[in-house]
Amino acid sequence: MFKFLIRISSFLGKEFVEILRQPRLILTLVFGPFLIMFLFGLGYPDQSRPLRTLFVIEDQDALQEQANLFTESPNPAIISLGVENNKELALEKLARNQTDLVVVIPPNPVETIQSNQQAEFLVYHNEVDPFQAAYVQSIARIYVDEINRRALQTVTEQGQEEAGSAQPSLESALSKTKAIRAALPPADPNAAQLADLEQELTTVNENLTTFRSLGSGVLVSPFAVRTSGLSEVQFTPTGFFAPAVIVLLLQHLSVTFASLSIVRERRSGIMELFRVAPLTALETLLGKFLSYLVFEIILAAIITGLAVWVLKIPMLGQWQDYAVAIVVLIFTSLALGFMISLISQTDTQAVQYSMLVLLASIFFSGFFLDLRLMWEPVRVVAWSIPATYGIRMLHDIMLRGELSPAIIFLGISAIGIGLFLIDWLLLRRHMEG
Amino acid sequence: MGVTQRKDSREGNVVFTKDLTKKFGEQTAVDSLNLYVPSGAIFGFIGPSGCGKTTTVRLLTGIHAPTSGEATVLGKNPVHFSDSDKEKIGYLIQQFVLYPELTVWENISFAASFYGVNPFRRGHLHKLLDFVELAEHERKLAGNLSGGMKRRLSLAATLVHNPQLLFLDEPTAGIDPILRRKFWDYFKELQKEGHTLFITTQYVGEAAYCDLVGVMYEGRLLMVDTPDGLRKKAFGGDLIGIRTTEGIRFEHRRQLEGQSFTRGKVKVINDQEIEMIVDEASIAIPLLVEWSQAQRLTVEMIEQKSTPFDDVFVKIIEKETVNV
Repeated sequence: MFKFLIRISSFLGKEFVEILRQPRLILTLVFGPFLIMFLFGLGYPDQSRPLRTLFVIEDQDALQEQANLFTESPNPAIISLGVENNKELALEKLARNQTDLVVVIPPNPVETIQSNQQAEFLVYHNEVDPFQAAYVQSIARIYVDEINRRALQTVTEQGQEEAGSAQPSLESALSKTKAIRAALPPADPNAAQLADLEQELTTVNENLTTFRSLGSGVLVSPFAVRTSGLSEVQFTPTGFFAPAVIVLLLQHLSVTFASLSIVRERRSGIMELFRVAPLTALETLLGKFLSYLVFEIILAAIITGLAVWVLKIPMLGQWQDYAVAIVVLIFTSLALGFMISLISQTDTQAVQYSMLVLLASIFFSGFFLDLRLMWEPVRVVAWSIPATYGIRMLHDIMLRGELSPAIIFLGISAIGIGLFLIDWLLLRRHMEG
Repeated sequence: MGVTQRKDSREGNVVFTKDLTKKFGEQTAVDSLNLYVPSGAIFGFIGPSGCGKTTTVRLLTGIHAPTSGEATVLGKNPVHFSDSDKEKIGYLIQQFVLYPELTVWENISFAASFYGVNPFRRGHLHKLLDFVELAEHERKLAGNLSGGMKRRLSLAATLVHNPQLLFLDEPTAGIDPILRRKFWDYFKELQKEGHTLFITTQYVGEAAYCDLVGVMYEGRLLMVDTPDGLRKKAFGGDLIGIRTTEGIRFEHRRQLEGQSFTRGKVKVINDQEIEMIVDEASIAIPLLVEWSQAQRLTVEMIEQKSTPFDDVFVKIIEKETVNV
């Protein structure tokens, strides 16, 4: 048993010294992610992207009075660059990236509406990114809703004004009705009808009073919405992405370190020496696992410290839960890296496989695309990547202050243990023939 | 040194093989190898590059399983070595396989650890570095060492667990003759300490340092013998040179070729000097002196010539090729 521990420790020391002998690498590993998160926070402030917008009114004389209605949007996402009367010229500017949107105001909108048709705005953009195109569509919809609301508000205000001018006549009619009913003897059969009329006029008058007293904005949009998350903390983009960056970085480091570790030893020939020595595959694997695990736990602690205390990334959960999640993530990522190392023939192959894992993690782990958007069968790929579990666990612990469901923890643990066993078998084949 | 052990028995031999064969697909790397290495001997395994020396070492260390035949090393089948069997073996690989990013000391400590050497009993590591003359360089990165120093570091790493049997695969390849000589001094020192050494080499001349030499050629072991025995087998006897004051004439040479101790023709070096093969130099030299006196020839020089092993090796290969 004592010799077993000595043999395991041989790798612990060796791998550590090899890494520590590269101070630049350590500095890069510690401060690189911190700088990335810091610059990310600076580069993506918590606000939507404003769109420079050029409005086109081809018949400006006809729309002179209504022009402001269309070109002055209260939406901060639309920044007006002015009005153009030549659509082709505006589209050229769009192509030259001098504007982000071109909004063509429908000609003769009033006549179109009066003929029982919708007046259509044409919104042009030059986006190739489907997410940006969707963003433009959403902004355009908000813009048109706003125009519709304004039109309704104008009509409502006109109605209130007209109701205001009609109300004195109504009140006069009501007084006269009251006077006639008072002049009639109570037994007169017309007295009851006059009482009904008086009642109706009173109701109409009260309704008009209410109609005039309400704000036009409330009448047009009687319902508003206010969203609120369960967490009281407001997350910035940096706050949201930081846990995922930590996960992706730790996974990538683990996979890269481990994937190069054994393949290099196989290439150098020292594996032949291990085979002759009283060293088993299990001792070799455990030694390497422990060395990288300890190194990366230290690295994770420093990066997390910088993220939480310098970048003020929220940490709403328990530190011990966070520690367990990190250890499981590193263990599973190392197991994946060692498997790559054992199936690769050269360093280059190992690096290429590691890059493929990184690429798959970026696209499938929920790093920037929500997993719920993914077609369900493809989610199998997502849930075979350690980073997917890691991001979910860290989001839950850091941003929601709760533990992930047990299935998440069990899932990543099962993958880690499964890969470890495969690594062991593969290494046995290499070392023990 | 006990080279008198029976070559057809496992008894007394730390390495013994019988018809050991290794094939890779259709290619036979080692063909029916029969050899023995007595305990405490330096066994030189000589042959050109690619003749199957390294494959033999790998068979004897348990890295490869034989296709047929058997090998016994320290009384065990190498394929089934236990941890304690492995602790008795040291293996020096041809190329430098230690870690260039680690220092001399870190490399040797690493080697000690993976052999399970107790960290509190590593005082001898300093002695080892002294032994290979690297004590002053223990803080140097292995990557910054010269080729010769790397070989010495590898040798030290092979000795960290004080193995009984050492397999050294071309330890002197690619290093200068002075350092090669030094390596052989180390090996002799290790032999004195009781280690058995199995050393492969391409340098035929190094056979002279060994107790027993196996000559390998194209996967076959042509012969195993002592260095002198190899010379005899190569040339059919001992080579003797004679130089006289007077000229050695044709009839003198005819007479010498007719002597019972002479083997083959007498070779003329010049008018006064000849070389000849005899059964046994120690017997033939006094007889030759007597013969010279009888012929009234004044002997200026008569000695057993030490044939360069390059010639011995070529002769053995030539003979083998003719036989085939």
